[in-house]
Amino acid sequence: MSQILKREVVYAITGIVTILMLVEYFFFPESQTWAEMIRTWGIIIYNISLGLGAVRLSMAHSMSVQRRRENWQYSAVLLVALVVMTLTGLAGYFTTGLQTSNVIYNWLFVNVYTPLGATLYPITGFYIFSAAYRAFRARNVDAALMLIAGCFVILSNAPAGEAIWVGFATIGEWFRFTGQVPGMRTFALVGTLGMIAYGFRALLGKERGFYAGGGEE
Amino acid sequence: MTFILMILTFIVMYYYMAINKEEEYHIRTMPAMTAIPEAVGRAAEMGKPVFWTPGIAGPLSDSTQGPQTLAAISILEYVTEECAKAGVELAAYCPLSDAIPLVEETMRTAYLRQGKPEEFNVEQIVFIEGQSAYLSGTLGYFQRARPASNILMGGFYYEAVVIGEAGNTIGAMQIGGTNNTHQMPFLVATCDYMLLAEELFAAGAAISRNRDMLGSIKGEDIMKLLLVALTGVGFLLGAAGITVIADILGW
Repeated sequence: MSQILKREVVYAITGIVTILMLVEYFFFPESQTWAEMIRTWGIIIYNISLGLGAVRLSMAHSMSVQRRRENWQYSAVLLVALVVMTLTGLAGYFTTGLQTSNVIYNWLFVNVYTPLGATLYPITGFYIFSAAYRAFRARNVDAALMLIAGCFVILSNAPAGEAIWVGFATIGEWFRFTGQVPGMRTFALVGTLGMIAYGFRALLGKERGFYAGGGEE
Repeated sequence: MTFILMILTFIVMYYYMAINKEEEYHIRTMPAMTAIPEAVGRAAEMGKPVFWTPGIAGPLSDSTQGPQTLAAISILEYVTEECAKAGVELAAYCPLSDAIPLVEETMRTAYLRQGKPEEFNVEQIVFIEGQSAYLSGTLGYFQRARPASNILMGGFYYEAVVIGEAGNTIGAMQIGGTNNTHQMPFLVATCDYMLLAEELFAAGAAISRNRDMLGSIKGEDIMKLLLVALTGVGFLLGAAGITVIADILGW
């Protein structure tokens, strides 16, 4: 019974909802009330899954603190931050309808979360620059072609490039538009086809990998 | 356009149903998928972990990016089973909070299927919120644990080049896959094997060798041929000044 609830009912609901959405998309020119309702349910269920993620995260980190596993102190910080932000956010929401109205919540967000995020971004930003530089090497033919194209595009964008030779701008422009766009569109097209086929398999319950694992346990 | 989409969907449906009647059916081997056991074997020999991440671009609520994450989780199932078989540690860095329950259940089930449920540890799954924090955490993990193999499959933004190059720096074998055209070049440049665009979605079906699933891939290939033909005809007609196909498709 549990397997039926865990798998077959999930496949059935997925299939029915997908068919209803396809019918609405293909056969009705305007948005339908019943389809809007299903979409609203979808948003609610999605938010429940976010909550479920938070619960699972709390459980995992609580266990880490409880058993004093390696680096358990970080788990403790996470749990404290989670509780404080949730409570202060809810307090703000219930008093004024806006969680940011709570002074503690706002202070933590503006003075802790934002600066931490702003600090991390430039660190990784510099890493992107050096990583991109190191990634652009001729490891194989594909990478060599990309390297050559990249050089032309850089030289077409940099003022020095055009000062060296005016043709760099023309060639760089060609790579950026004529050369690149058909390739990108081809990938976009076949990627979408892949998504249609994937959606079809998911609709029929055949693509089971993400239904918490494929075949039978 | 809707009409074309319907035709394409029916083609997939037809081949999905028709394949069981065929004697033999082969699809091309995907080097990236056949390299996964090799990557796990390498990790087993080196006594190092395998790293998996779906990237940050595909929250499940996003209808265009989300399917990539689902496809990546399908591949994670295979990777986890291979790791469980070989007794290799697997670290799953997932920055998408809504995908965490799926990742956890997928890994748990994979270990269970290999008869090693006790080897699954929820701490193998690491959730770090925010792109920069996720990247910093990943780079830190690379320096500490030095994974032998990295599986980077799913929806990626700029983390593709950062994680890919960090993996190169530590000498990891890397298998990438994404449908995000703007990140493909970076993964191609940094990974040893690559799943491009629709290959990411077909990979799970290809390794399963399930006839129904292979049928949908055949349908997908027929769709591709039809679109190539349509594009060719449209190009020739367009060059002759006849824009009928472009007008019908609204392009």
